[in-house]
Amino acid sequence: MYVYIYDNFLRNKKFESAIKAIEVRLTDYGIAGKILRLNNYTDAKPVIDDEIKRGAKTIVIVGNDETFGHVLSRAATCECVFGFLPIGPNNTIANVLGISVGVEACDVLSRRRKEKLDVGWMNNRYFISQLHVLPAKVEVIYDERFKAYANDKMEVVVCNLQPFYWKKDSKSREQYVVHPQDRKLEAFLRPLTKKGWFGYKYEEPSIFPFEEMEISSREPFTVEADGKISKEIKVKIKLAHGKIEMIVGRNRKF
Amino acid sequence: MMFQKPNSKQLADVEILAPIQSVVASEDNVETIVGPSVNVEGDFASEGNIIVKGSVAGSVHTSRHLAVEFGAKIMANVRAGSAQVAGEVRGNMKVKESLELLSTARVTGDIEAKTLVIEAGALLFGKVMMPGLEESKPKSTRGGFGKKSEEIAAVV
Repeated sequence: MYVYIYDNFLRNKKFESAIKAIEVRLTDYGIAGKILRLNNYTDAKPVIDDEIKRGAKTIVIVGNDETFGHVLSRAATCECVFGFLPIGPNNTIANVLGISVGVEACDVLSRRRKEKLDVGWMNNRYFISQLHVLPAKVEVIYDERFKAYANDKMEVVVCNLQPFYWKKDSKSREQYVVHPQDRKLEAFLRPLTKKGWFGYKYEEPSIFPFEEMEISSREPFTVEADGKISKEIKVKIKLAHGKIEMIVGRNRKF
Repeated sequence: MMFQKPNSKQLADVEILAPIQSVVASEDNVETIVGPSVNVEGDFASEGNIIVKGSVAGSVHTSRHLAVEFGAKIMANVRAGSAQVAGEVRGNMKVKESLELLSTARVTGDIEAKTLVIEAGALLFGKVMMPGLEESKPKSTRGGFGKKSEEIAAVV
């Protein structure tokens, strides 16, 4: 039995035709099901647990990267198969999973090609897409073996499924994309240096693949993980292997 | 037989091979990069290639390729499958395959490598050891005569 979780932004009229087309395709495939609408303050875990008790086997997230992270970061421990139907802008994870944006995503869903995805774990909660530490004077300890630090502030981005984009230099027009799909989390460290009168400037990022990492600082720093923002002094990040069973496409990046 | 259509089993085999190749390719491309403004301290090890543009203190270990770029500083003992140095290294280097010192390389420490390439301008201060050519010691036939012959040689 399929249960579809729609994000709140899909109420907008401009997505009406896309949603109608998707619902018709799902009915054609015989995989239409119950529709639930997500609000900003809804916790997805108890909702999904209830549906699983009622017999749901597949929970399908309908929305964008933010919806994906919001639902899975809370429902990573639920015993079910997850699917994803990306609609609208801000959909980078869909490409990584080999799922097209729009109606074609239903074809991927109907084939039910399943893969177990790794999930990041941070201070008693999970993150599926990306973890972002805003620029602060932090120190990073990798696998309890070595530490990395910059002379001044540093921004840290830990990627699981959501790729990280940055420009190689100010003159280059192309953006260099890294897809971290190698059974390890990848941390991107971008130090900031003061350049004369113009304030801080980002330096070239460092890349460290790892399984366990600790970020610490003397002062609290801001951490954003899948849309949830908090202030921490110490953050422990680990990789949880094969936590989520997901329906993916043939053209996935891993 | 030559123009037979591939059967479904052969097609399935090809499909199975393709994803495995892509996984292997991605493992080969895994890189650790230490940026120019980043300092690393401790037992720095990686399963993939390492590119150092900043500073590293402690020890560096990789079974694959290590690149030390111009401006980078390594105050550590280094073990790598192969290496290319254009920066500064203060420590012993043990490289399994080839070690290349570019013109801006400054190495202070002993180096051991199978193949060594030194560009004009590179500076090296330390011992160099390469397999295949070992120091040979003179053989002595009898203990007594051997000792006397050594004494005579010393006197002469």
